[in-house]
Amino acid sequence: MSGREVFKIYAPASAKWTDWVRPVLFVAIDTYNRKPIGDWQDRKVMFIKEYQQDTAIFIDLPGKESIELGINLGYFGYRPIPVFNGTDEQRGSQATTNTYLIESCLINGSEKLKNIQLKSDANPAFLLDSYRTNRYRTKESIFDNSWDLYKQDVPSAKYFKQNGINKIIIVGDTIQRDIKKILLKFQEEGIEIYITDGYVFPKKVILTKTIKERFEREEI
Amino acid sequence: MKLIKIPEDKYYEYKIQAMFDCYKWDPQFCDTNTLSRYVLILTKKENEEIIKLTESLDRETRLAEEYLNKNINVAKKLALPRKILEQIPNMQSYDKSQNIRLMRYDFHPSTDNNWVVTEVNSDCPGGFAESSLLPNIARKIIDMTELEYNSFGEKMVEAINKKLNKKGTIMMVHCTCFSDDRQVMQYMGDRLEKEGYKIIYGAADHIKFKENKAYCILDNNQMSIDLIFRFTPLEWLIQMKPRRWDGYFSSITKSCNHPISIYAQSKRFPFVWKDLEKAGISMKTWKKLLPETFEVKNFSLDEGFIYKPVYGRVGEKISIKEACKEDEYEKILKDVKKHPKQYLLQKKFQSKPLIGEDGKEYHICLGSYTIEGEHAGYYARMSIYPRIDSYAEDIPVLIEK
Repeated sequence: MSGREVFKIYAPASAKWTDWVRPVLFVAIDTYNRKPIGDWQDRKVMFIKEYQQDTAIFIDLPGKESIELGINLGYFGYRPIPVFNGTDEQRGSQATTNTYLIESCLINGSEKLKNIQLKSDANPAFLLDSYRTNRYRTKESIFDNSWDLYKQDVPSAKYFKQNGINKIIIVGDTIQRDIKKILLKFQEEGIEIYITDGYVFPKKVILTKTIKERFEREEI
Repeated sequence: MKLIKIPEDKYYEYKIQAMFDCYKWDPQFCDTNTLSRYVLILTKKENEEIIKLTESLDRETRLAEEYLNKNINVAKKLALPRKILEQIPNMQSYDKSQNIRLMRYDFHPSTDNNWVVTEVNSDCPGGFAESSLLPNIARKIIDMTELEYNSFGEKMVEAINKKLNKKGTIMMVHCTCFSDDRQVMQYMGDRLEKEGYKIIYGAADHIKFKENKAYCILDNNQMSIDLIFRFTPLEWLIQMKPRRWDGYFSSITKSCNHPISIYAQSKRFPFVWKDLEKAGISMKTWKKLLPETFEVKNFSLDEGFIYKPVYGRVGEKISIKEACKEDEYEKILKDVKKHPKQYLLQKKFQSKPLIGEDGKEYHICLGSYTIEGEHAGYYARMSIYPRIDSYAEDIPVLIEK
């Protein structure tokens, strides 16, 4: 399957929330001729019992797990929205983040997703790679393809609320600093934030700014 | 100028083509789709007029920057970052015949039926693929293949071939953590690879300089560089740690752009025009097209004026009240009070919107590129607000015969 065909399965015409699917890694599927992986795992959804009309999900696990869980959330009625935004390194160079595996897994995921009947207005499960912020370079000759999630990469709090979303569940070990920045604003606007490691029921969290964050120059 | 709507039933495929064939990897910004549902059509006359103005602005700008490079006391009025000021002596080896000079001038139609130019993107203009590939797809989609366009990419290839003669290694220097930077570089890199060049994608600190020549240090790509194609803005470059960026300023490796681009990138550029004219460099076109610009001296903002950051990009922090989101306007005013030297005051012009088929008004910014002094295509954006910022939509430009 070409990257374009894979993309169309994740972002069919007229389906809600699909404007946020980032094309970068889908384009790379064609550029680098990626193939599906052999060890796909169907991940059991344990942290929710059913689809919740007022809830969106952000899966912040290592890329492969994120896609596997996201696809299985499809069976609960959530639409997986890949927002991976890293680029491939210069050929031959070592990179800080592995995008190959994610590109391949997106193909596997699409093969499953095309057989799932989702409502056109299904709530989103945004797929992230928790390794995205790994930018430590052991030597200067390494290609840094880490990336952050920015507020412009996802819908605004206003958009979520207008579309009936009042709760966001983060699936991950922790709320990373880039997402925290976005969620702080969401929280101010009245969206409740929950966290789960993927196994237990989500717990509500109240996010607070660190001292350093409080003194940062205000973003305009 | 006029807008032609892309048929509703063809838009999805158009967007897919833009992403997969035209390197448009950032089609969404917050809640806004950044790929316009329209195509912008210029008349032959408008095209000729803008080309003439663009090339005239470019002549003035290039003479100005060469003068400023030799006259540090005048250049100081631009309030360049200290680290860059310190590099001016290292830039004395700049030889324009050895480098490729690329700029983009932002034109806006005004209600008095004139063109207004709001800035020159002197250092790192982007939008290459949108300028070069999108028009061809658009004209097929709207079934008007007789319309023409000027491809930025082809002009750039010509300019590089003149300097390198289809041989050598080109390093596409960009912020490797940003896919929207990579998309700009990837288009140009792929196109140049077809010409026979070896292309390396890397960050600014993947270059080391030995005897003022650039070498790539990326794993398995260690080699000398024949052309630095830089998309990392100088204001960011000089923040790099550990400090390895000095070489960019004294490099004898060919560059596009060489750091000489910083002089016109400062929006305080009009504050040196008097000095330039005294030295015999006419700034006539600039004076005609740029709204009057002043230092920020007090903080009572009159109705007909706006604040603009000295090193702003993509319309950020410009205090056009009706275009500001939520509490953005108040935040800008607060920031101006805190950091007045980082802003300037500019006379507000009335942008003349075009009316779309949907009856809505759309404001246009028509970026006109130059490469080595010659017009090299357009990159246009449009917005429902009279400020063209990150929420604006990319719109392909076609020209009537």
